[in-house]
Amino acid sequence: MPKLGRLFQPLYLASPPRIRPDRPLFQRLAEWGALLLVIGLSAFEVSGAETRGIGHGSVGPQPVGEGMGCAGWVLGLVVPLLVALFWCWLLYRQMARRTQQLQRELSERRRVEMALRESEARFRDVTEATSDWVWEMDENLCFTYLSKRFYVLTGISPQSVLGRARWELAGVDVTIDPHKWRVHRELLEKHLPFRDFTYQTHLTGNRKDGRYLKVNGKPIHDSQGRFRGYRGTGSDITEQVNVEVALHQSELRLRRIIDLVPHMIFARDRYGRFLLANRTTAAAYGRTVEELVNRSPRTIHAVEEEVERMLADDQEVIQSWTSKLIPEETFTDSAGHVRTLQTMKIPFIEPGLNETAVLSVAIDMTEQKRAKEEVARMRLYLKNIIDSMPSVLIGVDPWGYITVLNQPAEHASGLSWAAAQGRFFGEVFPQLENQFGQVRQVIREGHPIKTPRMTLETDGELHYADVMVYPLMADNANGAVIRMDDVTARVRIESMMVQTEKMLSVGGLAAGMAHEINNPLGAILQGSQNVLRRIGPDLPQNRAVADALNIDLNLLNRYLQERGVLRFLEGIREAGARAAKIVADMLSFSRRSESRFAPVGLEEMLETVLRLAASDYDLKKKYDFKRISILRDYDPALQVVYCDKTEIEQVILNLLKNAAQAMTEVNTLTPAITLRTLREPDNVLIEVIDNGPGMDDKTLKRIFEPFFTTKEVGAGTGLGLSVSYFIVTDQHNGRLSATSKPGQGSCFSIRLPLVGDALS
Amino acid sequence: MTGWVLIVDDEEMIRENLKAYLEDEGLGVVAFESVTPALNWLRDAAAACRVCIMDMRLPDMDGNSAIRLFHQLYPHMEFLIHTGSSSYTLPEDLRAAGLEEDRVYRKPLEDMAPLVGAIRMLAALREVRP
Repeated sequence: MPKLGRLFQPLYLASPPRIRPDRPLFQRLAEWGALLLVIGLSAFEVSGAETRGIGHGSVGPQPVGEGMGCAGWVLGLVVPLLVALFWCWLLYRQMARRTQQLQRELSERRRVEMALRESEARFRDVTEATSDWVWEMDENLCFTYLSKRFYVLTGISPQSVLGRARWELAGVDVTIDPHKWRVHRELLEKHLPFRDFTYQTHLTGNRKDGRYLKVNGKPIHDSQGRFRGYRGTGSDITEQVNVEVALHQSELRLRRIIDLVPHMIFARDRYGRFLLANRTTAAAYGRTVEELVNRSPRTIHAVEEEVERMLADDQEVIQSWTSKLIPEETFTDSAGHVRTLQTMKIPFIEPGLNETAVLSVAIDMTEQKRAKEEVARMRLYLKNIIDSMPSVLIGVDPWGYITVLNQPAEHASGLSWAAAQGRFFGEVFPQLENQFGQVRQVIREGHPIKTPRMTLETDGELHYADVMVYPLMADNANGAVIRMDDVTARVRIESMMVQTEKMLSVGGLAAGMAHEINNPLGAILQGSQNVLRRIGPDLPQNRAVADALNIDLNLLNRYLQERGVLRFLEGIREAGARAAKIVADMLSFSRRSESRFAPVGLEEMLETVLRLAASDYDLKKKYDFKRISILRDYDPALQVVYCDKTEIEQVILNLLKNAAQAMTEVNTLTPAITLRTLREPDNVLIEVIDNGPGMDDKTLKRIFEPFFTTKEVGAGTGLGLSVSYFIVTDQHNGRLSATSKPGQGSCFSIRLPLVGDALS
Repeated sequence: MTGWVLIVDDEEMIRENLKAYLEDEGLGVVAFESVTPALNWLRDAAAACRVCIMDMRLPDMDGNSAIRLFHQLYPHMEFLIHTGSSSYTLPEDLRAAGLEEDRVYRKPLEDMAPLVGAIRMLAALREVRP
């Protein structure tokens, strides 16, 4: 049996692979039985053929003859047997040889089969174990096979895949990106291999909707080179895609956020190259973000010092590994505007390079700085405004405590703003203490209160001040401001002007009635002179009449003297003279026409006045003008002055008289008067300077007031200087001023406008 | 001799005082309160009158006109002006007739001595210039 098995083994081994050795035993026995029968019949037929005389060693079956004899039958029985035996032997040898060959082939086959099986198993294991799957398509590009992995991964059922094309699995994707699919389809239709084709499945009812798949494929051809379809692998990259998408979105979000930040955000590596920059930064450099990245500010920033400073700061942060705040730095942007930045620099490890880099956040402070400067400038400007105001300004709160002082107020109080702040204003300005009631009233009622010409006493001197208290208007600033203007000078000038006006009207009146007054005054004065002359014993006419009447003139004279009659007469004369003088002075106040104005030789005029002074009755008698030395300091550049000669002579004479009088009163040891002329740009200056007793400020301020006199009653009319003032300022449009200090003499300055050819 | 000094002034006391003083000085004086009687007197005595002291404001004629008239009638006469007006200024035609600012005396005269000096000087002038 084993022998027989061996004998027939090649047969089934040569049969199609469908016949396998592991089929059931009864099947194999039947096969063998059939084979034996065939062999027996064959042997019989061979013997028949040989009796018919065809005896040659042919192996092929012979057809069975119909007529056989006995001998022939015996012969026919034995011979065929022998032939059969021989055939069998032959067959056996043939078979043995064949069997050996087949056995060799079989073992080889088995080895290959084993290897194939192992490879198959390995392939299956690998297929099932990896995330990839295997697929096959037929020549119509419809799926014929997909490994289990595909179904497990995608959750798609086989019936919705097999027999369909790939684009049918990804309908939505196909419509989204038809080009991609058209290319893919064309590729497949041209039977070309492809790699890493990615698409998204959208099978309806699929729980895992929208899986991303990546496939590779290769066309299959049969031995004749005919296209039989495709075979390939596929993998699910949904997770990978999702992660990538999420990463991309996250990066986009971060990008958007840093681009939204209005500050400059950027990172630079140790070489100064931008690793990151937001849009604000790029805009500051006048570039796009893409243009900035990987470039150093050295190549794109115009101001070298700024670049070097910024990079030096970067280096410092990298080296010290500590953050740095730069409170203020300048940065010139691409438009050339200098900006002020506040920059924070923070070191960090750049993930890609694994090196220290610097993250910077720079806030543009330009506007803030400008605003701050503007506020400071404005504050200074406002302070300047209130400081420059000539009025004293005192800001107080509702309780009277000082909040603000301007410069004149500081000057008036002798206290700085800082020192006075918070103190009660009545304590700092005792002269205004009574104004507290007004402060409260003003805050309560919201209306300012004015007190014009309030009399104040400072250092024993009387002052006039206009005081105004007004409430603060701002919403929350409760308080008031006290404004005080010293109007003393104005009040004085005003009162002087009032006086002058009065004098002018008096002058006008005097001019009208001068004739009426002068005649009686003439009668008085001439009468006194005649009386005195006619009672004297010296005049021959007197003696003649006295003798005729038998009167002793000497006795009469003695009588008149002893009874004081002569003194009374002298008194009448003097009183008349004084009245005449007053009338004359008053007449000076009347305005006169300019017709009397003429160019006058200045030096000549001064000399005339000096002669007049020397011959003046009063100066000669009372003040001893000859004792006073006269110093002349004439400006040679001045020749002529345009004026009313007699008027100016009167003024200068008046000044000389006053000087002489003052010096005589105090017995100045070496009395001297200097007459000085000086050409000023617009004026002719005439000065009368004495070395007499001088005046204090109080007197000095009032000397030009009419009827103000320092002389004892009767010594002067009190009109001299006011008349002079009137003549110079009103009639000559000039100025008359005086400077003096007690014990240091006085200086009176007459300034007359320089007209035309005054120099020639 | 200085001859007569003619005074024309409407104020009696001024007239009298001047007359008294000048007479005490030994001068012959005639005084009138207005121009008309003065003219009447001059008709006979003009030759003996050398100097006239003229007030400005007079009842019948103003002083300036009187001087013009006298000067025209009796050119040998010299004039002194004695006025109480503060605003008096010498008219140009009188200046032309030889009057100067120093011939103007303003009332009130505290001292009449300068006036006497002027009279003597003018009378002497007439002596030299017949």
